[in-house]
Amino acid sequence: MTDERRATTTLKRLSAATYLKEGALKYLFLLCAFVAVMGVALIFVFVGVRGWPVFTDVGAGDFLFGGLWHPGEGAFGILPFITGSLVVMAGALVLGAPLAVGAAVFLSEIAPPRVRAVVRPAIELLAGVPSVVYGFFGLMILRPVVADLTGGLGFGPLTAWLILAIMIVPTIATLTEDALGSIHPGIREASYAMGATTWQTIYKVLLPAAKIGIIDAIILGMGRAIGETMAVLMVVGNAAVFFQGVDMPISTLTSQIVMDMPYATDLHRTALFGMAIILFLFSMGLVGTVRLLSRFNERVR
Amino acid sequence: MIVRPPILRVALIAVMLATIVVPLAGCDDGARAEDEVVVTGSTTILPIAEISAEDFTEENPGTKVLVSGVGSSAGIESVSKGTSDIGTASRDLKESELSLGLVDTPIAYDAIAVIVNPENPVRSLTREQVRDIFAGQITNWAEVGGPDLPVGIVNRDEASGTREAFKKIVMGDTDFDRTAVILPGTGQVRMVVGEAVGAVGYISVGFVNDDVAAVTIDGVEPTLANVLNGSYGLQRLLHFFTLGEPEGLTKEYIEYVLSPTVQETLVREAGFVPITQGDPPPDVIGGQDD
Repeated sequence: MTDERRATTTLKRLSAATYLKEGALKYLFLLCAFVAVMGVALIFVFVGVRGWPVFTDVGAGDFLFGGLWHPGEGAFGILPFITGSLVVMAGALVLGAPLAVGAAVFLSEIAPPRVRAVVRPAIELLAGVPSVVYGFFGLMILRPVVADLTGGLGFGPLTAWLILAIMIVPTIATLTEDALGSIHPGIREASYAMGATTWQTIYKVLLPAAKIGIIDAIILGMGRAIGETMAVLMVVGNAAVFFQGVDMPISTLTSQIVMDMPYATDLHRTALFGMAIILFLFSMGLVGTVRLLSRFNERVR
Repeated sequence: MIVRPPILRVALIAVMLATIVVPLAGCDDGARAEDEVVVTGSTTILPIAEISAEDFTEENPGTKVLVSGVGSSAGIESVSKGTSDIGTASRDLKESELSLGLVDTPIAYDAIAVIVNPENPVRSLTREQVRDIFAGQITNWAEVGGPDLPVGIVNRDEASGTREAFKKIVMGDTDFDRTAVILPGTGQVRMVVGEAVGAVGYISVGFVNDDVAAVTIDGVEPTLANVLNGSYGLQRLLHFFTLGEPEGLTKEYIEYVLSPTVQETLVREAGFVPITQGDPPPDVIGGQDD
């Protein structure tokens, strides 16, 4: 065997091992993606199968647009919860989105590196606080404050808005900061070169340029707000009635599912899964909107 | 060119299938060990069940008593399905539950106290007034001889055995005020009533403490003596339900809970009234921290 031939054999052997490893890794990552997709599919099928009968047994109209929820007497109208979820989400966005976008602008455009090194981890840490802790904070600290302001017990949308506004900040702020960061530096420099101030650059150039990314961020914040359960349950009052005022208890789809699940049987339980279907569809709608927007964004570019 | 061994592909597909199939097949909850008792149900009974379970397993090494508090209805459902050995409930069986074949062992009396904020001077209500307050018909404390202060109702969730009992004893056919705050636990009700001046709620007398004030009902104080002689109206039995007559370790545990060791110490300390009554002591129940 010549030296040359020996070298070729070694190379081939090495390649075989490497290729095997590469192939295995490829399948490993495929498996990861597969498990995630299976998770979504299994949950969707499970919730769908368990909840679908409500649309025939109660009737889609009575279920979705019924104003009375009284499972003990066969009334399964979830409109109070749908509107409750929307009210809670909308208020949280009105308070939280400007806060989050402002924080992102500060981090991306204004903060000196040393300040950024403190503020950014603090905002990211907000995302890691368990929601039951937010709920506890809301119940013990914010609720008495709201009670003093309104003269009631402090349970209701207002308290939930305050808590959720803080909870959605990390979602919106980090994504908005990404959107601002992905703007071509030349655009920013051109603006400053033309004599624009920092504020003019932010307001007239950067925010419009990152518009779609920011809308994406807000939509995902909506998803966070509408899906939040524990913190909302602890402060919203959980009364199965329509919105009557910022300090009057209401209930949401998520909190009502949790409240009722321990004891619900038969059609009542089916109705809870039906509510889960509505939540699922809502999330799908939000994610779908984000996908559409980003496709639109690419086309614009 | 290197050909990837097909066996790798087969193995990976097998792994993927396993990730779906294994969790589905893992839902086996039928078989349980002989030396284990699973107790599920009322959060009201939880303190008694938990501490007596600890003492019981200490006295009987090698045994296990697993206690969880998920609400009376869930406890009854769980024991009737065989998921647990004992279902604890702070309410009687509903009509739909009578045919489940459950055997009832009452373990203590409980009385429900109507609580107000200590700063609220109202200390006495009639049963009708309590009903009208929780129905939302009395909306200001001035209507029941108190200060001009709006009533803030704090209700319990429908899974609560206390709510079930309160509804049955006080409300009857009258509906609760649907706009009232609903809280998922005794502790939260007590905390909110303790903080908000206009609030009113109801909890087991065993959980009344100095943060709140219990009112008299039709002039009768929620005391131990009044519960035992039947003059206090808002009271009920706490139950252990088993599927058929209790056997083996389950029976031993229930006998332990009914023994004076538990009845005269744990049950009394939790503020409940022992089911095996000796001489009723005259002291007031409640008023202690849990």
